[in-house]
Amino acid sequence: MTQTLKRLPVYLVLLVGAALSIIPFLWMVIASTHTTAALFATPLPLLPGGELWKNLARLQQETNFSQVMVNSLVVAVIYTAFSCVVSAMCGYGLAKFRFRGRGLVLGAVLLTMMIPMQVLLVPLFQMMASLGWVNSYQALILPFLANAFGIFLMRQAFLDFPDSLIESARIDGAGELKTFYRIVMPVARPQLAALMIYTFISQWNSFIWPLLMLNTEDKYTLPVALNTMIGLSRVDYSGLMLGSLLATLPLLLVFIIFQKQFVSGLMGGAVKG
Amino acid sequence: MPKAMKLAAPLLALALLSGCATGGVPSAAGTKLSSDAAVSGQITVWSWDVAATALKRLSKEYTKEHPGTTINVVDIGYDNAYDKMSVGLQANSGLPDVITVETDHMPAYIHQFPKAFTDLKPLIGADEAQFDPSKISASSSADGKLLSMPWDSGTVALYVRTDYFKAAGVDPSKLATWDDLITAGEEVKAATGHALISTDLSTGSLFQMLLQQQGQGIFTPDGAINLTSAAAVKALALIKTMNDKGLLDNVKGWDGRVTATKNGKSAVMPEAVWWIGTLTGEMPELANKITVVPLPAFTAGGTQTSNDGGSTLAIPTQAKNPQLAGSFVKFMLANKDNQVSMMKDEGLFPSYLPALDAPLFHAPQAYFGGEKVYELFAAQTPKIPSITYTSDNAKAGDTVSSAVVAAVLNHQDPAAALKSAAEQIATATGRKIAQQP
Amino acid sequence: MTSTLLRPSRRPSANAGGRAGARSTAGRSRPGYWFVLPAVALFAIFFLYPLLSSLWQSFFSTTGGESTWVGGAQYLRLFHDPLVAKSLFNVGLILVIQVPLMVCTALGLAYLLNQSWLRFRTGFRAMHFLPAVTTLVAYSLVFRVMLATDGGAVNQLLAMVGMSPVDWLNSEAWSRVALIASITWRWTGYNMVIILAGLQGIPAELYEAARIDGAGRWAIFTKIVIPQLRPVILFSSITSTIGALQLFDENFILTGGGPNNATLTPVLYLYKVGFQQFDFGYASAIAWLLVAIIAVVSVVQFAIMKEKK
Repeated sequence: MTQTLKRLPVYLVLLVGAALSIIPFLWMVIASTHTTAALFATPLPLLPGGELWKNLARLQQETNFSQVMVNSLVVAVIYTAFSCVVSAMCGYGLAKFRFRGRGLVLGAVLLTMMIPMQVLLVPLFQMMASLGWVNSYQALILPFLANAFGIFLMRQAFLDFPDSLIESARIDGAGELKTFYRIVMPVARPQLAALMIYTFISQWNSFIWPLLMLNTEDKYTLPVALNTMIGLSRVDYSGLMLGSLLATLPLLLVFIIFQKQFVSGLMGGAVKG
Repeated sequence: MPKAMKLAAPLLALALLSGCATGGVPSAAGTKLSSDAAVSGQITVWSWDVAATALKRLSKEYTKEHPGTTINVVDIGYDNAYDKMSVGLQANSGLPDVITVETDHMPAYIHQFPKAFTDLKPLIGADEAQFDPSKISASSSADGKLLSMPWDSGTVALYVRTDYFKAAGVDPSKLATWDDLITAGEEVKAATGHALISTDLSTGSLFQMLLQQQGQGIFTPDGAINLTSAAAVKALALIKTMNDKGLLDNVKGWDGRVTATKNGKSAVMPEAVWWIGTLTGEMPELANKITVVPLPAFTAGGTQTSNDGGSTLAIPTQAKNPQLAGSFVKFMLANKDNQVSMMKDEGLFPSYLPALDAPLFHAPQAYFGGEKVYELFAAQTPKIPSITYTSDNAKAGDTVSSAVVAAVLNHQDPAAALKSAAEQIATATGRKIAQQP
Repeated sequence: MTSTLLRPSRRPSANAGGRAGARSTAGRSRPGYWFVLPAVALFAIFFLYPLLSSLWQSFFSTTGGESTWVGGAQYLRLFHDPLVAKSLFNVGLILVIQVPLMVCTALGLAYLLNQSWLRFRTGFRAMHFLPAVTTLVAYSLVFRVMLATDGGAVNQLLAMVGMSPVDWLNSEAWSRVALIASITWRWTGYNMVIILAGLQGIPAELYEAARIDGAGRWAIFTKIVIPQLRPVILFSSITSTIGALQLFDENFILTGGGPNNATLTPVLYLYKVGFQQFDFGYASAIAWLLVAIIAVVSVVQFAIMKEKK
């Protein structure tokens, strides 16, 4: 009883936080069931309306929504798979090995985080154009496979990784790569999960680069396709809200699946064993 | 591995030094277009919104008339469309055969990328005089080339809430000058409690619209800064007076203007002809409550219109099939029937003046209680004053909007705020401030 | 080739078995190269040219399509440009207020959401993470609707408690408050997840030992959790700092940098200079000034967090 009382404030804090986080979403849900005209009215509608199916049909017709959803999924899955391997390897190398030029590599990684993307767009575009990669998915995936944010995240995660584990694997005769895949990666599962969540979302929501690269509507990814609903003097807000809402669902699913890895005790058990 | 890096760095540095780093400059001035060239093959056209719808619809007609051609219309969305096009211009690669560019954006492109667009003059020749003159001047380069073809006009008039004016006992058709409108606004406010105009002061677009109405731009025809002119001070003082009298409702962006109008926040809206599409689309419930009159003049008998928006089609010199692009652009825009059909189906108000004779423009409009509002816009379109754009219009625009905020919201003297803006622009661009008589 | 190079070295590590201080196993340089190779190669292929190109461009001035070498003139211009100063002041202000606020909130939330006794844990986690998955276009509309001066949701709430409406996006002071609130809303969940993942790396034995020693909850949080999370907190701080100094999306969407440049940031300014005024040389100079500032701030953060190199 006393314990429950002590925990009550925690629940209260979390409830307030949750409310602040989801109220805008609830409004998106409501907005996607009204006409755009209704969204300009005062007071704003507070209850769901009856336009959901019409909005959905228009969304599908104007943006070929199901197709762009598949496009986005293909790009994000391929990107996440490869980028996470590259980031984890590089982060591990930087955290656990001492070699000449290590500081330089870390500095270079951080530098690519520090430079505003906007000034790199034109030269990167020129490169893609001269490679003939305009309007291709490799142009969305390859240049950003090495991701500074991910490398830095994994480096920080591996810093405190117990060397004893790595050493014992080596003494058992495992190769460096095998040690990495069999010993290090499984123990670092929570951090890998965080990396995968981050990587998937960043590719899924990526907008400016795909907009510059993709030139035919059948190749559009979600944000680029939704952007076509924004016109010069006409914005289809209810369609946009519905599209954004549907675009969010796969991300939530990814989060819920991967956050299962956030369970204490993996590391403790590993050190003991 | 580090060895490879050591090797790669100087190689890439060499590549940079060879000049491709500063963005390519088109080598040739583009193909010489001809109005009767044989066309074949395919082109790609970038556009957005209803413009893309119109292009897709009419491209079918075009390919029927010209067998063996294919027109691919791609909707790139309006938001960030200029980022996509600017990167293509800067990189000198990646642009399609035809791009849609708004009239306001074209002068900056012409100044910054003078060799990036194909001259369209050979396509239409003397027919150039048949277009809205203010659009032609915005699409022309200093050496007289026509680098984009006007599509639709943003002719401005005053949309009036008739019920508010009736409640105050004011006749909107008798509004000759802005002073009349301010007096009327005070009466409407006393009678109904509503403001006169809802506008987004932070963009400075109301100020620029009022300046163009007086036939002036931020710069004089010889490129000097025009912000200390009597017309500029008059325009800003007018906005300030309206705000001081409590007649302005400051809102944020297009959304803010739509919301304010839909909810009847203010009595009039100085807006372009395309506002009709927004009215009928988002606020059908206001039917029969709105009428359109010409913009009040600054002095009785003066110009009663201005420009806000409108688009053009341009052919980049990068185009792979410029002859077909030219033929298609001419078919779309310098063509009475097609311009009329785009007004009818997509609400794009023609810059091609012969189209304005069509019966459609003289038909009564149900939304406006049966008034012939298009007739009014058609009559005003040839009267839109042409103004001078320079390469520094974009740079000056932000400074101008800050001056508007300073004078209207922070209560500075309009003349002083404009003088200080002019000095800032002079420092930033190295241009002279025009001497005022 | 890979197999020979990845063959384990038989040399014993200098600090084998150690935990603290044994950040790297000495003498194992070759495998280290191989682990960083893919990333370094990808960076070299795709980013070396754009980086050098933007640096190169910052020594040019372009007008009317013609580029001319101007040496360091663009960099000199930075020091006389009041908008550069103002934008740096704006992000400085945001940095000092927003980053500590967000990192502390994220840390607290992550700690609470990691408690094993917590019911509906997955649900709470997912809800707190929701803002991080919003698409930008939905985010912009939702916030403009919430922050509208007339009839916006926030002002309606204020009215309920008897306060007068606030002109969120049109007043210089309030637009900064609105901006800070909206960035915090969008990014706290993100940092929460990263810290949550970091929390899993703390061995359960440490908690048990502390409990046996009679340490209270607060003592466990400050004496065990925070020191153990140091690398993760450093990561969160540095990336949030970079995020704040490079702020672009939120103010581009909500205020466009206004009113009267109160929410102008260096990246928004360089975007306007580069993509609206086509002065890519000056835009690059602003970018490299920002890189220098971020580098200095990051080095200071590394030093404060006392990370051993």
